[in-house]
Amino acid sequence: MPQVGIVLVSHSVRLAEGAADLAAQVSGGTVTVAAAGGTDDGGLGTSAAKVERAVRGADGGAGVLVLADLGSAVLTVRALLEDPGVLRGATVTLADAPFVEGAVAATVTAAAGADLTAVAKAAEEAWHARKL
Amino acid sequence: MPASSESIMLSGDLHARPAGALAVAAGRFSSAVSVTAGARTVDAKSVLGVMGLGATSGQRVTVAADGPDAEEAVAALIAIIGEATRVGGLRSPARRQC
Repeated sequence: MPQVGIVLVSHSVRLAEGAADLAAQVSGGTVTVAAAGGTDDGGLGTSAAKVERAVRGADGGAGVLVLADLGSAVLTVRALLEDPGVLRGATVTLADAPFVEGAVAATVTAAAGADLTAVAKAAEEAWHARKL
Repeated sequence: MPASSESIMLSGDLHARPAGALAVAAGRFSSAVSVTAGARTVDAKSVLGVMGLGATSGQRVTVAADGPDAEEAVAALIAIIGEATRVGGLRSPARRQC
């Protein structure tokens, strides 16, 4: 059965890649976690083209959950999702969730075989996870 | 619905990777599954909850399940906790714990 894919959109190349590494390791490495960090030339910012490629790469047929690190990354993702032509055929949900905790929770839930709705819910429940 | 529970003494800390293995495995069962350490009980399917237990080596944790596959869930999760918290568990002997 295909698993939900995860896309991590950050203003920073390294933050996106690091969070993707962490989420993949904690979940056992069976889920596709794609990083879309930085601008097209690798600077701080976001790139619609990188997000599009990451979503395509993470889509294994069960849908894709996207997490964004800060508000303006959300704008980039939203603009992409609202353009009907760009991601045609892909089922994509943007999570309202903390970046690192949401990424880990979502990836672990996807690894257990949950559907896109449950994976998005796991990411959003990360708001309530206390560390102490 | 059948209920089942079992305890195990941790032979290592319940770090991120063992917590992840536990939550992935728990998520595959239809039963409700919890993990208790000390006074706190969390949903075993929530990796952030399990990590938030802060359970350490030498501490006793209890896995409890309620549902159609409760017994299998408890057996599987106890085995995973035993393996994953063992030093060098989860096929990452050279890595630092995370």
